[in-house]
Amino acid sequence: MNHLGFKLDKVKVGSFDFTCCEGCQLQLANKESTLPEFLGLIDIRNFREISSERHDDYDIALVEGSITRSDEIERLKAIRAQAKVLVAFGTCACFGGVNSLKNRIPQEEAIREVYDGKKIETMPSMKISDIVEVDLSIPGCPVSKDEVERIMVGIVTRSAVSLPKYPVCVECKQKLNTCLFDLGEICLGPITRAGCDAVCPTGKTACLGCRGPAEDINFPSFEELVLDRKLSISDMKEKLGFYNGFGDYLDHES
Amino acid sequence: MHDMRFNIPGKDLNLEPFALKIPDFQKKCEVMITDKGYKSRITNIVPLSDHERLFLLRIVDPHERELFNFRPGQFLMLEVPGYGEAPISISSSTSNHEFIEVCIRKAGHVTSALFEAKQGAMVSIRGPFGTSFPMEEMQGHSVLMVVGGLGIAPMRAPLFWIGNHRDRYKDVRLLYGAKEPSQLLFDYQFEEWQKVSNVDLLTIVEKPDDSWKGNVGLITALFDEFTLEPEDTYAIVCGPPIMFKFVCNHLDKRGIPMNRMFVSLERRMHCGMGKCCRCMVGSTFTCLDGPVFDYWSVMNLKEAI
Amino acid sequence: MIYKVISKPEFKAFIDAIVRVNNAYGPCQVEIDAKGKPIYQFKPVKSADEISFDYTVTHSSAKHFFLPFRDELSSFTFTDGNWEQEVRYDAPPTILIGLRPCDINAINILDDVMLHGPYPSPYYLARRKNTFIIGMDHLPLPDCFCKSMNRHTVNHGFNLFCSDIGDRYYLSINSANAFSFLKEFKIEEPSYEDNCNLIERRKSIKNSFETNVEVTGLPVFLDIEFDSPIWQKWGDKCLSCGSCAMVCPTCYCYSVEEKFDIDLKGSSRQNHLYSCNLVDFAQVAGGHNFRPRNGDRLKYRYYHHYRGFAANDNQQICVGCNRCGRACLANINPKDVINDLRLERESCTTCVSTSPEKT
Repeated sequence: MNHLGFKLDKVKVGSFDFTCCEGCQLQLANKESTLPEFLGLIDIRNFREISSERHDDYDIALVEGSITRSDEIERLKAIRAQAKVLVAFGTCACFGGVNSLKNRIPQEEAIREVYDGKKIETMPSMKISDIVEVDLSIPGCPVSKDEVERIMVGIVTRSAVSLPKYPVCVECKQKLNTCLFDLGEICLGPITRAGCDAVCPTGKTACLGCRGPAEDINFPSFEELVLDRKLSISDMKEKLGFYNGFGDYLDHES
Repeated sequence: MHDMRFNIPGKDLNLEPFALKIPDFQKKCEVMITDKGYKSRITNIVPLSDHERLFLLRIVDPHERELFNFRPGQFLMLEVPGYGEAPISISSSTSNHEFIEVCIRKAGHVTSALFEAKQGAMVSIRGPFGTSFPMEEMQGHSVLMVVGGLGIAPMRAPLFWIGNHRDRYKDVRLLYGAKEPSQLLFDYQFEEWQKVSNVDLLTIVEKPDDSWKGNVGLITALFDEFTLEPEDTYAIVCGPPIMFKFVCNHLDKRGIPMNRMFVSLERRMHCGMGKCCRCMVGSTFTCLDGPVFDYWSVMNLKEAI
Repeated sequence: MIYKVISKPEFKAFIDAIVRVNNAYGPCQVEIDAKGKPIYQFKPVKSADEISFDYTVTHSSAKHFFLPFRDELSSFTFTDGNWEQEVRYDAPPTILIGLRPCDINAINILDDVMLHGPYPSPYYLARRKNTFIIGMDHLPLPDCFCKSMNRHTVNHGFNLFCSDIGDRYYLSINSANAFSFLKEFKIEEPSYEDNCNLIERRKSIKNSFETNVEVTGLPVFLDIEFDSPIWQKWGDKCLSCGSCAMVCPTCYCYSVEEKFDIDLKGSSRQNHLYSCNLVDFAQVAGGHNFRPRNGDRLKYRYYHHYRGFAANDNQQICVGCNRCGRACLANINPKDVINDLRLERESCTTCVSTSPEKT
C-alpha cells in the first residue's frame, strides 16, 4: 500500500484436508482466471493440490474436512499449534458436512454398509471447532472462490473480513429467480447465510443450507411457513440435517 | 426503413460539463461527481492517547483546497483508498484553510487502516456535509459547552470559532469529562483555551489515577460548580447519547430552552448525501438534517436516544 | 403529449421492430407456480413474440434497471505512492416495455429521491436518460391497492403509454423519440368513439379495485403508533430475508462497500441494494445495533413507505403494487399491517378497558 506508506507482506498459507472430498481446495486451484493473482497474494508453504513442496512455517492454515478418526485430532492440534490464524474451510470443517449423516446411525452399521464389515476406525463426524479454536469460518459446499479471494485479500490487507449476515433470499431475489416455495418446494434460503450468489435456487435446486444459518434467524417463522404451505416437516428436517449446519434448530419443538 | 435504434442524450454523460468539473459539495441540488473526493495528503499524525490520534490533512490541489469551506459541527467523508470510507467530524478551525484536522479513534476497519498509514499517505475527502452549530445566533449570549470523551472532536471547531471572535460572546464555559485522565484529549491546548480564548474550563474524570488532583465523578457533577443565566445561555453538548440525555435533561431543569441546546448525533453512514438511508433516525437523515440538531428536534426524533 | 390510436397487430409490429434493434426488456412468463398461476418477470426480449402483452404483474419490479442491485461508484488505481480515481456513468440504451402505471409512478418517486434531492445522482441520471419506457395499463389484481395510494394513473415519466381499448391501443406519446419511431406505422387520430372507450377503460380500471388500504392521516398515525406492540407482533413473523425490499419498486436503501482488486493494484467502491429489514442494517462500527429486533426493522420499512422521509418532502413512497406482500413468505402485507394498526388505535380510543382480541 504505497499510497498509504506501508508495505503488505504475502501471508504464508498451509492447506490441510481431513475427512472430505478435497473439493474446496480444488476450487482454489480451479479458477484459472485469477489463479496467478491469487498466488501472488500468498506464499504457499503446504498445499498438495497446488504444490509438491512441504514446509511447516505457515501462518494461515486452511483446514478442510471434518474429524472422524483419533489420529486426525492429533494432526489438527499440531496445525493449531503452528497456525496464527486457523480457517475452517468449507462446510465439512465448519459444520461437519455431509459426513455427519452417518452420525444418525450406529457406527457399526455404517462400517458394515460402506466397508463391508472390514475393521475400520471411525467415530461420529465432528466439526473443526469441536476440537480446536477456529479463528475464521468460510462455509460452502464447495466454498465460493470469490469469497475465499475476498477474505484472503482481507487478511493480506488487514481490512474487513466478514461473511454476509443476511439470508440467501436477498441474492436469490436479485437473480430474479422464482421462489421455490411458490413452486411447492422447501428451500432453506430464508434461513441460510448468503454469499453463494444463490447458485442452487438459480439452478432450480432447493437450498440445503451448506453455509449454515444466517445471523439471528427466525426459525419459528420458517417452520410456520413450511406448515402454512402444507409442506412436510420431515422433509424440512431432512434438509436441515443434510449439512449439519442447523443442529441447534433440529431439536426445536414444533 | 426508419432507424429504430434508440440513441439518447445520456449516452455521453461522461463528457457533460458537470462530469469534467470538480465537485463543490456546498452547491446542493446540482448534478456533480459526488463520488469523486479531494485528494489529500496526511501531513502530520499526532498521537493523543492509546486509541486516538489527530491527523492533519492537506488537500493537494489548490483550487480544491479553496472550495473546501466548512462550518463548525460539519463532517466529511474520509476515504482510505482500498479500505473504504467513514464519516468523520471536522476538528479544526474554520479559519484554517491550509490544513484540515480530524481526530480519530480506532474503531472500524477504515480507521484501523488510517492508523497504519504513515505521514505522506494519500487519502481522499468528500464534503463538508451536514448541519452546523449556529455560531451567529449565539452571538451576544453566554455559551456552555459540555463534552464527554471523544465529543471534543466536533467541539474544537466551535471552540476555535469563539476564540477567533471572543468579543462577540459573553461567558464561555467548557465542561469536559472523560473516563480516565489519559482520555482527556488536547490537554496541551487547555492553557491556550483558558488564557487566550478566555474560556472557563472545568474537567472531571470518572476513574482518577494517582496524579489526578481535579474533580472526580460524572460530568453532571460539574453543574453545581457554577451558576448560569438560562435566558441568556446557549448550550452545545457533544458526547455519547447517554451523556447528552442526562446533560440536556439537567439543563432543561435549569431553564435553558430546548431549542437553544445543540447536540451532535452519530450514526452509521454510507453515502453522506441522504440516499443510502443508513443514518436515518426516525424519519430524518443524520447526514442532511444533522449531525447537529437542537435538542427539541432530537426529543421529537424517534429512536434518537 | 400527443394522442393516437393503433391497432393491436400494428402495435405488435411496432414493438417487434423496436426490440429487434435495441437492448429491450419486456414481461415474459418464466414459470407456472404450484397453484397453476403464471409468474412473470421483465426479461431481455429480441422479438415481440417473447413478450406476454396480456401479463398480470411481474414478480420483481423494474427498479433494478435504474438502481442495479450492485453498481460500481468509482474505482481507484494505485500508482507508486499515489492513486487515481475514476468515475464512470455508462448506461446502455435500454427499452422497457409493459410497465404498469404504478411501476412508472415508482420511477417518478425514485426521480424525486435520486435527482431532486440535495445531491442528485449522476449514475441514476444516466440510466434514466438512457431508458425508453413504454407503459401499458391493466385491470387491477385482487390484491393491488395502487388506487389507495393514488398511483393507479400516471401522466408523466414515460415515453409512450398504451391503454387497452378493445381491438386497439390508445397511445399517449410523450417523447419525440417515440413519435418518430411510430411514424413508420399506421397510427390514427383518436375518434370520438376511441375517446369514449378510453374513458370507459379508465372507469372500469378505477372500479375494479378490490383492496383498499386507508392511508389518509397515516403519517401522524405512524408517529403515534411508534411504540405499538403491533410492530413486534408482525416482527415475530418476519424472516428478515429482505425479499420485500428486493422486489419493491421504490425501496432504494443501499450499502457501500469497497474492495481491493485481487492483484492489490486497485480497488473498487460499489453500492449494493440493501434492506432495512436485514439484521445488520443499523449496526455501527463497534457492533452496536440501533434496531436489533425484527419488529423495529419491519416498522422502519413501513415508516419509510407510509410516513415518508423528510428529505423527500415526507411523501409516501409506496405505490400500492403489493409485490412485497406477494413475495413475503411470512404472509406480511401492507394491507393487513396497516389495518391491524388502525384497528388497534380505534379500539383503544373507543374502549376504556383493554382492546378486544384480534384475529
